[in-house]
Amino acid sequence: DSWKYAFEESLTEVQGVYATKFKEEIEKNSDNEIQLFPYGTLGESADLMEQTQAGILQFVDQSPGFTGALIPEAQVFFVPYLLPTDQKHLARFFRESKAINNDFKDLYAEQGLELLQMFPEGEVAMTTKEPVNSCEDLNEVKFRVMTNPLLVEAYKAFGATPTPLPWGEVYGSLQTNIIQGQENPTFYLYSTKLYEVTDYITYTGHSNFTTAVMANKEFFDGLSDADKKIVQDAAKAAFEHIVVYQDGLAQQELKKIKETKPSMTVTVLSEEQRSCFKDAAGDVEAKFIEMTGDRGTAILKQFKADLAATAQ
Amino acid sequence: MAIKITAIMIVLLLAGLPMMIPLLLAAFYGFYELFNGFSKMDFMVQQMLAGIRPASLIAVPMFILAAEIMTRGQSANRLIDMVMKFIGHVRGGLAVSTATACTLFGAVSGSTQATVVAVGSPLRPRMLKAGYKDSFVLALIINASDIAFLIPPSIGMIIYGVISSTSISELFIAGVGPGLLLMVLFSAYSMIYATIKKVPTEPKATWSERLDAARKAIWPLGFPVIIIGGIYGGIFSPTEAAAACVFYALVLEIAVFRSLKLIDIYQIAKSTGLITAVVFILVGAGAAFSWVISFAQIPQEILGAIGITEMGPKAVLGVISVSFFIGCMFVDPIVVILVLVPIFAPVVDAVGLDPVLVGTIITLQVAIGSATPPFGCDIFTAIAVFKRPYADVVRGILPFTIILAAVSVALIFFPQIALFARDLAFR
Amino acid sequence: MLPGFLGQIDTLIGRAEAVILAAGVLLMALNTVGNVIGRFVFQYSFFFTEEVNRILIIMITFAGIGYAARHGRHIRMSAIYDALPIRTRKVMMILITVITALTMFALCYFSIGYILKVAASGRVLPALQIPVYLIFLWVPVGFAVTGIQYALTTVKNLLEKDVYLSTHMLEGYDDNEIEV
Ligand code: NA
Ligand code: NA
Repeated sequence: DSWKYAFEESLTEVQGVYATKFKEEIEKNSDNEIQLFPYGTLGESADLMEQTQAGILQFVDQSPGFTGALIPEAQVFFVPYLLPTDQKHLARFFRESKAINNDFKDLYAEQGLELLQMFPEGEVAMTTKEPVNSCEDLNEVKFRVMTNPLLVEAYKAFGATPTPLPWGEVYGSLQTNIIQGQENPTFYLYSTKLYEVTDYITYTGHSNFTTAVMANKEFFDGLSDADKKIVQDAAKAAFEHIVVYQDGLAQQELKKIKETKPSMTVTVLSEEQRSCFKDAAGDVEAKFIEMTGDRGTAILKQFKADLAATAQ
Repeated sequence: MAIKITAIMIVLLLAGLPMMIPLLLAAFYGFYELFNGFSKMDFMVQQMLAGIRPASLIAVPMFILAAEIMTRGQSANRLIDMVMKFIGHVRGGLAVSTATACTLFGAVSGSTQATVVAVGSPLRPRMLKAGYKDSFVLALIINASDIAFLIPPSIGMIIYGVISSTSISELFIAGVGPGLLLMVLFSAYSMIYATIKKVPTEPKATWSERLDAARKAIWPLGFPVIIIGGIYGGIFSPTEAAAACVFYALVLEIAVFRSLKLIDIYQIAKSTGLITAVVFILVGAGAAFSWVISFAQIPQEILGAIGITEMGPKAVLGVISVSFFIGCMFVDPIVVILVLVPIFAPVVDAVGLDPVLVGTIITLQVAIGSATPPFGCDIFTAIAVFKRPYADVVRGILPFTIILAAVSVALIFFPQIALFARDLAFR
Repeated sequence: MLPGFLGQIDTLIGRAEAVILAAGVLLMALNTVGNVIGRFVFQYSFFFTEEVNRILIIMITFAGIGYAARHGRHIRMSAIYDALPIRTRKVMMILITVITALTMFALCYFSIGYILKVAASGRVLPALQIPVYLIFLWVPVGFAVTGIQYALTTVKNLLEKDVYLSTHMLEGYDDNEIEV
């Protein structure tokens, strides 16, 4: 059969690399064909989700930040400093976590979705026009965030003026100084050219960008056991591919940025400099619990237990 | 399926149905074929709503509103009077001014549709009065407005840059050359036209007359300050600048010039809403249509059939030009860029084309497609705003299309038109 | 244009559409400027500006298509049509209005299906936290009103001698037409 798979980035970005590997594996191991639909070709996140739930698309890659309206618990990924920056630890966590592989699987199933794989896309960096060494430096900085309540809360807690803007307006607004900062994983800063309109890249370690690949549940349940296994194996193989691909990716992309724009200042905040950001994380966690109640609390608890178990 | 969809569109279009119907019924047919019946038709509605969702579209009604207030009040006339005192004695001067105003306004506002209205509404009556034929005036306004795509900030270039990972700063600089070239060629054509058609000139104004006109225009000169200063100065996004212009226009016309009453504002707002709806329903229908094309992978099919992977760089550029031109004849430029760029990306990469050149060529084609029959968002806008029949609006377009086509071909063979400034600044 | 009670309802709907159009556009300007003032004067960006504008644009578009149908303002390519003799034009116009009305009614039906789906999903607007389906309620109404306008135009063309572009408009472009 011919299956359709949509994602939120371009073919050469992390989600695209994952999708390409997934396609390769499926087509190698079965007679099925996968058609890939990159960013914008079939609509935006909310559209893609509806299309997947209706079975028009068989597979979709959607970041939990966009799933928040459907699955509030998915916003747990925006609690600052919850996930580690160590990519190896993260990989183990995504492989073994009960919260991800059991709890979230059930939450997605409630929405008619079969969660196949969650994977990290890299540490989120802030890019700004002025240096950021502490929360005070974010004071009165209009900072673009995705329209996600918890992320807005996080940047309020950091002291910035969170400014939700549609993605298409970010570059122009940075260029004309309507906003003075935004956050994204490193590869994205390079591929979308955001470094051209900002001068400082700062790593505060507060967040890792996570994304999730899922299938329409009815479609998945209707597959033969052999086909189900092929799909699941392909999702796992693509995950391992991404783990290797991600290794050093941020450094490599950062190097490209430095080569094209030598004036770019890159700062990794010290533990001490991070303290006020870490303090703010408590407020955001409280807000998350307020928004999601018992179910959110349970997920958060399981997250922490899983992270401890995979810490080594 | 591609052939049947095209046939449905052409027949319904020529039969004189409201233009949303050919797009909608073609999309209907596509959904019916793709999903064996009517079960997924609700996603047509999803895509129509997605089509009118982009935040950047909000600038369109805002600029329309501001322009209508200025035109029905005195601001626009005072501005034009001033310009006329300076260039009224030059043959074709008013046409050249119109081309320049469209380029400038379009460059800054970023919206070609807004430009058609904002510059066209006040200037069209003046050009008609000065003796230009309406077919020429409409074609000039529509085509000159599309230069907006090429001059920064250009939303089309930003989208292209983001999804193809191409430097947006370089794209911006590369667009300026072809953009200015077009403006110069349109101006030259306007002067030739005015000379051949013997469009009368005004007597040369004295400096005291000029100063007097400038004095009268002092308040309305605040508009370019708000738009250009506001956007490049980082105070407003284009949409916000438009809304700010609305309020400035209201203050001027109601309080300063006392030329409009509140009931006039109600009328103007209502007609702005009407124009917006007429244009946006087409944008929505186009989005539903393009979803079908994208989902059915029709572009991939066609490109495979013509063997794009076997072609050399110039031929690939030719195919890209034609594809984007055709695409923009039917749907909104942004949608075309989103759908087609990823499809061409591997080929562009394989033949080693400069992505900045490709982006510039694509942007130019997008501009041409939006102003060329049969469909085209700027043609729709002109019909809606100026209340002229379709045939009148497109009658004078051919000479402009020839100029645009010539520049497209030139760009393929002399890429330096675009890349010269880029290389100077970045290499 | 319609007789009696139905005519009154029709006039009322037309008025309502006009008010929605005007109010929608003005509110959009107010909302957008409000955000600029908030950002610069109070260092506070309203999270809901974009969402409010999105609500308004849907409202304007779907109130506007009915109003445009009423006044014959939908864009069409009439070059061939205009060249035909009047009897053919009359037949064509009846076909055109029937096809358009049917398309609008179909879309009305499908949009209700879509709204039910969105309502069932429980999706809310991220900033305003109101259910998304509420902002779509205009959509089927707009399609229905537009469909009815075209259906009435069909009837009008069947009953009257002249060719009508809409219930309120004879065919042809007229510079002296009443301002709508
Ligand atoms: Na522009
Ligand atoms: Na066109």
